[in-house]
Amino acid sequence: MKVSLNWLKDYVDIQMGVNELKEILTMGGLEVEQVIPIIGGFDKIVVAEIKSIRKHPNADKLSLVDVVTDAQNFSVVCGATNIAVGQKVPLAIEGARLPNGMEIKKSKIRGIVSEGMLCSESELGLGEDSSGIMILSKDLKLGANLGEALGLTDTVLELSITPNRPDCLSIIGIAREVAALTNQKVRYPFIPDYPKEGEIHKKTSVTIIDPDLCPRYVAKMIEGIKVGPSPYWMKSRLEKVGIRSINNVVDVTNYVMMEYGQPLHAFDFDLLEEGRIVVRRANEGEEFVTLDGVKRRLDSEMLMICDGVKPVAIAGVMGGLNSEIREDTKNVLLESAYFNPANNRETSKKLGLETEAAFRFGRGIDYGACLNVANRAAMLIKELAGGRVVEGGIDAYVKPIQPKPINLRIQRVNHVLGLEIPKRMVRKYLENLELTIEEREDFLVVTPPTFRQDLEREIDLIEEVARLHGYDKIPVTLPKSPPSSRTINRNLLLEQKAIEVLIHHGYHEVITYSFISPSFGDRIQLPQDDIRRRSIKILNPLSEEYSVMRTTLIPGLLETARYNIARKNSNLKIFELRKVFIPKEGEKLPKEIKYLSGLAMGFDGYLSWTSPLREIDFFDIKGCLEDLLEALRIDGVRFLRVENVPYLHPKKSSAMVLNGENLGVLGELHPDVLSRYEIDRKVYLFEVNFDKLIENSKEEIRFSPLPKFPAVYRDLSLVVDKELEVGKIFEAINAFCDPFINEVNLFDVYEGSPLPEGKKGVSFRIKYQSKERTLTDDEVNQDHERLISKLREVLKVDLRQ
Amino acid sequence: MKEDLKNLREFTISSLNKAQTEREVNEIRVKVLGRKGTLTGILKSIPSLAPEERREVGKIANEIKKELEERIEEALVRIRDQQKREALEKEKIDITLPGRRIPMGRSHPISQVLNEIIGIFSHLGFEVVEGPEVELDYYNFEALNIPKGHPAREMQATFFISDDVVLRTHTSPMEVRTMEKQPPPVRIISPGPVYRRDSDPTHSPMFHQVEGLLVDRGITFSDLKGVLTYFVHQMFGEKTRLRFRPSFFPFTEPSAEVDIECVMCKGKGCAVCSNSGWLEILGSGMTDPAVFGFVDYDPEELTGFAFGMGVERIAMLKFGINDIRLFFTNDIRFLRQF
Repeated sequence: MKVSLNWLKDYVDIQMGVNELKEILTMGGLEVEQVIPIIGGFDKIVVAEIKSIRKHPNADKLSLVDVVTDAQNFSVVCGATNIAVGQKVPLAIEGARLPNGMEIKKSKIRGIVSEGMLCSESELGLGEDSSGIMILSKDLKLGANLGEALGLTDTVLELSITPNRPDCLSIIGIAREVAALTNQKVRYPFIPDYPKEGEIHKKTSVTIIDPDLCPRYVAKMIEGIKVGPSPYWMKSRLEKVGIRSINNVVDVTNYVMMEYGQPLHAFDFDLLEEGRIVVRRANEGEEFVTLDGVKRRLDSEMLMICDGVKPVAIAGVMGGLNSEIREDTKNVLLESAYFNPANNRETSKKLGLETEAAFRFGRGIDYGACLNVANRAAMLIKELAGGRVVEGGIDAYVKPIQPKPINLRIQRVNHVLGLEIPKRMVRKYLENLELTIEEREDFLVVTPPTFRQDLEREIDLIEEVARLHGYDKIPVTLPKSPPSSRTINRNLLLEQKAIEVLIHHGYHEVITYSFISPSFGDRIQLPQDDIRRRSIKILNPLSEEYSVMRTTLIPGLLETARYNIARKNSNLKIFELRKVFIPKEGEKLPKEIKYLSGLAMGFDGYLSWTSPLREIDFFDIKGCLEDLLEALRIDGVRFLRVENVPYLHPKKSSAMVLNGENLGVLGELHPDVLSRYEIDRKVYLFEVNFDKLIENSKEEIRFSPLPKFPAVYRDLSLVVDKELEVGKIFEAINAFCDPFINEVNLFDVYEGSPLPEGKKGVSFRIKYQSKERTLTDDEVNQDHERLISKLREVLKVDLRQ
Repeated sequence: MKEDLKNLREFTISSLNKAQTEREVNEIRVKVLGRKGTLTGILKSIPSLAPEERREVGKIANEIKKELEERIEEALVRIRDQQKREALEKEKIDITLPGRRIPMGRSHPISQVLNEIIGIFSHLGFEVVEGPEVELDYYNFEALNIPKGHPAREMQATFFISDDVVLRTHTSPMEVRTMEKQPPPVRIISPGPVYRRDSDPTHSPMFHQVEGLLVDRGITFSDLKGVLTYFVHQMFGEKTRLRFRPSFFPFTEPSAEVDIECVMCKGKGCAVCSNSGWLEILGSGMTDPAVFGFVDYDPEELTGFAFGMGVERIAMLKFGINDIRLFFTNDIRFLRQF
């Protein structure tokens, strides 16, 4: 909402500077978003008085004019004939620049020096009149800058109005706020007290068929007007608040709308068939051409203003082309109505027509002011366009709406705000807002004016008290209420732990959008019946690319990888710990499951002089997951070979299984998937159901005593078939169940010479330790021998030579 | 004889001072104090001296012997120290070579700021609760006093899943969900992603909020000011000025927008704060009695306040980031900076 400061000053005194006003309004709840200074552009154009007029000696049509400002005499050459001694006129002196670009210099005209120029309206850009010099009002101060003298220098405030304050969508509404916040009274503009009875009732009528959507409809008539351009003051005021000038009649309706917040509509009365107004719902499918020349399709919930035969306006949204004010319009019917806000919003939304009128009707206008506003507009039309205001006014107002009184307990005000202010202060604040108050012992009965429909409940009044008292004067305290008993959130702690592990492994956390492209199922080649293909669709997505809720984090990570590779960041370790959305049969909301997913590719670590770069492989991600399981204290997870994860390399993928339940998968991405994401290098990936990890995380940490007796180490080198999985050897060692075997570490895997083709060597270091005593070499040797023979038997392997 | 002793002492000390190795010192020791050493010889010859000379020379000779033994020890210590120094010297490395670093990752800047916010409210005894991101219209709007057709709905461009299911446009639904589940008092914050149909340098279709709610008997607007003042001082520094400004939210009344002094220009006015000197960082207000109505809390008995803040906005201010989309393109060169 734009407000011209000069206009605002018509209704309320503003002595303070703009910055202070901005502060007062902002802290009163009317946020000033911008202050735009309007400079008249009349530098070096001043008010001067004509002292004498003589003939130019060398030119018949020119005169020499002596003028005086507050300080100086000027002699100028002038060609106009409308001037006379004693008149005040605009004088452009040396250095001035006119709106048309002309620069004023001291110059000789037909041999006589002219020290400036007297200007016409059109030369100053103030009007169309170029027939003579602009004659100024006698009371302007000599020597004053013309812009200032005419009140053209102004400031426009751009305010952000919250949806609960439609009353502030008008200059008077803002003036009321300024008055309340600065302890003044509003100076309301003059409104003629036209009687309701009279001639108008013979000329026209208003029939409201649907009063639910139109509780009030006021009509006034002005006859014999002459449509033409508006005067400068009207044009410039409208322009400053963002409204284009059309003609004097339409401009008045807009002017009064900006003044009071009541949108008005002017019909060409002679274009209304049967010369009357009917307010009714549209017929389903009916078509109507609005002022902007667009044909609109209506439905039966839209309210129309009609004449005796046809629709002439979409009520409160936009007028029709068939009844608009034209150049030759003589007689005007002026509408000032109150329409149902919710219905009006619906209509405006359905038609995609967001007009100034709809914006105000949609939020609720002052139904109490319809008649006054119509009278004010009728008077202004008569002033600007001539003609006569037809006696009387139609006020179709079947069930007048009465604001409901509200009880306000003083104790409640203080209880909610944490204040101790007395009743008289509360009363003063509310009176400043033009609320009517009846005093009771410990409460007030408050009746809001019709322009404050947002005030319905006690709390609404408490807010007004807080606002006028000033939020900054409310004390700062801490609540006496006790802290929550569940301040520690276990899930968050475990999330933090998981993130720490990943960070230590060099992974960066990413956050990608929860909505992805529906093509993801094909791109990561999920089978047609995979549940993850049944993602939730967004009805109004930003674009197809972001139109379904993800059921897996993988596409987001792959997109991120592609994005980074394109920017030459191809050594990448990233993870995301976020929700996926799986629809649930028969339920409105999906199941939201937290997943932890990571992606690694390229070289590990930094390029360094200490060790060569190593390419990331499967065991980097596996090791990271092993550390994760340890940090979350989840025992017994087995990494099983799987070949059926659709997006993974069938020979380089694994599932993490705990007690038969799948926790997640890891592996190298399938080359076909990579090529669909235009990634031309190996990528490793894991995806784990984090909610399941949390379920299986052990709460407690129990300390076990430190070993008292030394450990003994024995190495074990085996030559086995290349195809034998090392996991089998670990299983066999574990199955051996030696009570002294405390730790088994694999420290070498070797293929090639001198080993025969098809064989590999694997070496373990085994730690033997007893809790009760020191083990003797003999004991350990015996156990180790037995382990070897057992392995030989079970795995059919050789001891390495 | 006395003269000889004096010369011997001086000669030996000067030799010891010159000695560079333990061997040289030992040779001197043998030469002077060994069984056939010069001083040993003199000491041996003392009994043959005249009685009065014997005493005097004996005393001097013994003193010199003691002194020289000490000097020899000193020389040895000096030489061993020297050797140690030389050995260390040989082990010298180029400490200007870069260190061997472990390449760590980082958590996302949004997570970092989120954790900081959670930490501050934990200190104040707030519990963290999380809720669904795909939400019923009822919780996202209806029960927050934003009925269908309410103009406030237009302030939040909503993604729809169906007529009555939306992507939550704020974290506020957790206020209602929490109050539905538990009796008062309530003291929660609820962080998480929210969604609005908007995309430009200052708006992302997905961003993060932290909602807060405190409901109990006797909670006042001044408590709201206290809690949020504490938060701002912790988050932006104790000297940060802030102001509470009347505003409108359908589910709070009175409502307040909280502005902090611009972190860029310290309130002088700059491009970041559109020359106002202030930055809007969170919305808040006293819980509207209508909301209590939806969860069967008695609005006469209970009062409370709620607040909500945008995590991206705070992160952008904290780190001086000017484009919100950077958070979600996840350029590794961006992520590494935090």
